[in-house]
This record gives sequence, structure tokens and C-alpha cells, in this order.
Amino acid sequence: MDILQIHHLSKRFGSTQAIDDLSFNVPEGCIFGFIGQNGAGKTTTMKLVLGLLKADQGSILVNSEKVSFGETKTNQMIGYLPDVPEFYNYLRPKEYLKLCGEITGLDKVTIEQRSNELLTLVGLQNVKKKIGAFSRGMKQRLGIAQALLNEPKLLICDEPTSALDPIGRKEILDILQRVKDRTTVIFSTHILSDVERICDRVAVINQGKLILNGTLAEIKAKHKSNTFSVEFSSSDDKTAFMSSPDLKQLSMNQHESNLGVTIHCDDIDKTEALCMEVMVRNNWMPTKFEINEPTIESLFLEALR
Amino acid sequence: MKAFVAFSKKEFIEYLRTYKIMILGVVFLLFGMMNPVLAKFTPEIIKAAGIDLNLPEPSALDSWAQFFKNVGQMGMLVMVVIFSGIMANELAKGTLINILTKGLKRRTVILSKFFVASILWTLSYLFCLLITYFYTLVFWKMSGMHNVFLSFISMWLYGEFLITTLILGGVLFKNNIGSLLLVGGLTVIMTIISIFPQLQKYNPMTLSSDNMSMLTATKELSAFIPALIICCILTVLLLIGSIILFDRKQV
Repeated sequence: MDILQIHHLSKRFGSTQAIDDLSFNVPEGCIFGFIGQNGAGKTTTMKLVLGLLKADQGSILVNSEKVSFGETKTNQMIGYLPDVPEFYNYLRPKEYLKLCGEITGLDKVTIEQRSNELLTLVGLQNVKKKIGAFSRGMKQRLGIAQALLNEPKLLICDEPTSALDPIGRKEILDILQRVKDRTTVIFSTHILSDVERICDRVAVINQGKLILNGTLAEIKAKHKSNTFSVEFSSSDDKTAFMSSPDLKQLSMNQHESNLGVTIHCDDIDKTEALCMEVMVRNNWMPTKFEINEPTIESLFLEALR
Repeated sequence: MKAFVAFSKKEFIEYLRTYKIMILGVVFLLFGMMNPVLAKFTPEIIKAAGIDLNLPEPSALDSWAQFFKNVGQMGMLVMVVIFSGIMANELAKGTLINILTKGLKRRTVILSKFFVASILWTLSYLFCLLITYFYTLVFWKMSGMHNVFLSFISMWLYGEFLITTLILGGVLFKNNIGSLLLVGGLTVIMTIISIFPQLQKYNPMTLSSDNMSMLTATKELSAFIPALIICCILTVLLLIGSIILFDRKQV
């Protein structure tokens, strides 16, 4: 079941086409990484999903209900964390959650109970100071707490980690990982290591167009490169391996820094078998034998080309 | 309704914790005390300065003249500055985005902001009025006053009109300079209108500038009725306009 469906969405600001015929689906229960450079159209897409902007063309369905501009009912199913969440500086975290709860129509007991639970989840349970004195990371964490207050089916986070230091980033990613059982998470980012760390599925967008979409494993399998590397325990073994007459038709690069060799080939299975057979026969035991997976960076750069 | 109460509570806390309530209180307290004192001692101050003007003995009416002058000019100015960020601040900062995506109706935001600002304006005005009344009673007997209710309510109504103008300005321009400029622009237009005597009775500005003529009945009450009606209509229209505009605004 798809929690979010986007069909042929377009949005133009003046002369710039921010979103250009964008279509993709987000299945329930995953962490969905929405990747793109700055200005690729990530925030615009999210604001369209929230009904904060009016789409020129196309439709958006949240849990099979249509999103309309302005006061949209679908927002009751969505929790939203803006890229730089702005709060009322003069309120305390608990007061802010209370305000949010009352606006959504929750009763007193539920608000109290969920506030405590969520503030504990994001590590702000003992913070009594006003939001004005919060660090960026704390604001971001409070942002997640307020977004989860009405138990949304879909949590949308706009670049939650971009402005944070490594510790703050780790905290946010850990929290997102933890809320995975209760809600579907969409989060946009241009930090690819974050995607690799927690996302099940990704979509890459560039200049308002979708250029890559699927699970990380699928995408990697599709773009699997035909290279592998072997690392030896001594430089004698390495030199012998490279000059072996059985392997001279292979294209090899030796690593400058260590005792490894990278091998490029057309048929990876056959070549691997050949190399192993040669190594066993000559008793050059490798310390490492590894198929080179494409990194998300290389996939991203390739997709952009 | 629950959302309206919750948001209004937040508005109130905002005015309290950003010291705006305190500023309003102090300013209108000072005006309240100044009005009768100034009226009482102005002739003596002038005499002490060695100028022989032969001023008439001051009366309660002089105290009220001070009240309308101070509240109508400085008081309104302070009120407008205090409320200038009423819509603008939240739109400029983006604090409403969280709240609106939580399903708060946009009209609730406008109505609640108008409601809380009106309450604060009403209380400040009443506060100032009661203090002036009390001190005036200390110095003089109340006499020579006509159309008391209308004289005082019309200045209050003009304040309400300015508040809705600030709200519309905030929705339109998303910053408090825009709100202030809209009020400033309207004031300029109404000042220009006041040059033409025949248009005077339709000009809402008379409600804050000509109250003494009403209180002393030197002008017929009917000279003010059109301005009163126009001011009421404008206030309602500005409020409705703000709601319609905000509903269509992309935030």
C-alpha cells in the first residue's frame, strides 16, 4: 500500500520550472530518502504535499486521499518538520507541544502523556528553558517531537540534518530510525552518507525531474560495476600476482597506498574464478577479496550526468 | 473553538512575555495621570514662566481635552507600533507553518489575533480613561459633558479600525514595515480628505480628532454618524478582506 502517490506534478515560479512532471510513490513503513542538490525542488515538492503551495498540474494522494491547496484534511495524517523549524521563542518545549496538541484537538490527558513520551524520545525531557535559548539541534529535535504529536501516518522532514554538527546529525538519524515502526518517514537531504545509513528507498530529483527511484539494493544492483579488488599480505605476492602470465590479459591497477590491486573486467564471475584459481595454485593468499559496490556518490553523480 | 482558545492563549502569553502588555500598561497609565494634571497646572506653569496670558480657570473639560489629544495621537501611535507585527512577524519568521500544517484554520488565526489585540486595546483604553476620570474628579466636578458614550466609543472604534488595518498590511506585505506603511498611507489619505470640510463627516479620522466637539456638543451629533458607520463598515471589510486574502496566500 502506498502512503504517498504523486502523479505528474508540475509547479512553476515565474520563469523557473521548479517541479517538472514528477511522479513517484512512497510505500508504507519505509524510510524514504529524497535526494537532490540545493534548488532541485525538494522543499517545493514537500510544500505541495502539505497543501502550502498550489500545484499547476498533477495530483497528490496521501493515504489515497487527494491533497487540496489551503486547508487540507490530509494534513491530519502528516507530521511536518520544516528545514529550519521556527517556534515561538517565548514558549517552553512543553507549552509548545500543548499548543500544538490543543490545535489538533487532542484531549488534556493525551497531550500530557504524548508530550512526555515524545520529549523523552528526542532527549528533551528535562529541558525547562525557553525555546529561544535552544541550539539548532535542539530545535530540530523539538521539531520532530511536534511533528509526531498527532501520530501521523507520514512524517515529512525537510533536510533535518543539513545544518547540524556530526553529533546532532547522528542524534536526528537515530531518532528517525527509532520512529520507523510507528510511521513512514520521508526525508530530503543532500548528504548522501545519511541516506546510506538509514534509508530503505530513495528517489533522486534534479531540476524538478525524477532521475532515479527504487530501493537502495535495487539501484545498486542495477548499477553494479564490474570491478573487484584483491589485497595481499606482502608486496612480493602482489608483484608476482600482477606479472603472472595467466592473468596478463586482464586490466589491473595497483593501489599506491596499500598491497591491493583493482581488476576491471567484462564477465565478473569468470574473472573472479580465474584469479582465485591462480592464487590458490601459487599459494598467494589474499587478505581481502572484494567486489566493488557502487557508492551512492558515484550513482548520484552518474544519474546527474 | 478549542483551537481558537488555544491560539488566543498563545497570543496572550506572547504579549505578556515580550513585555508588550507591560509597555501598554505603563504608557496608558502615564497618559491617564498626565491628562488631568496637565490641565490643572498648565495655567500656573505659564504664569510661573512670566507670561501673562490671562487663561480661563481650567475645568474637567480641559482634562478630557488632554485625554483625547494624548490618546488620539501618542496613544494611537504607541498602540500601532506595539501591534505592528501582529500578522507580519509570524509570516516573516515562518512560525505559522507548523501551526497551519497541524490543521488550524487560517481564519482562526486572523480572528484570534484580532480578538486578543482588541481586548488589550480595550483594556488599555479603559484603564487610561478610568485613571483620567478618577484624577479629574479629585480636581473638579464633572460638568458640561454631552454624548459621553459616543464621544468615548468613537475613539475606541478608530483604534479597532487601525488594528484591522495592521492585520491586512501584515497579510499583504509579510513584514511590519508594510503594516506600518499601510496605516501611515491611510492616515495621509484621511488627512487629505479632512482638508475638504464637506467630506469631513464621512472621514473616520474625525473619530479620533474631533471628540471634544462631540463631548461639548458644539457640533451636531449627526455630523459624526456617517463617519461612525463608515468606520464600522471599514473595520469589518478589512477583517473579512484579510481572511479571504490569507486563505489564498501561499506561505
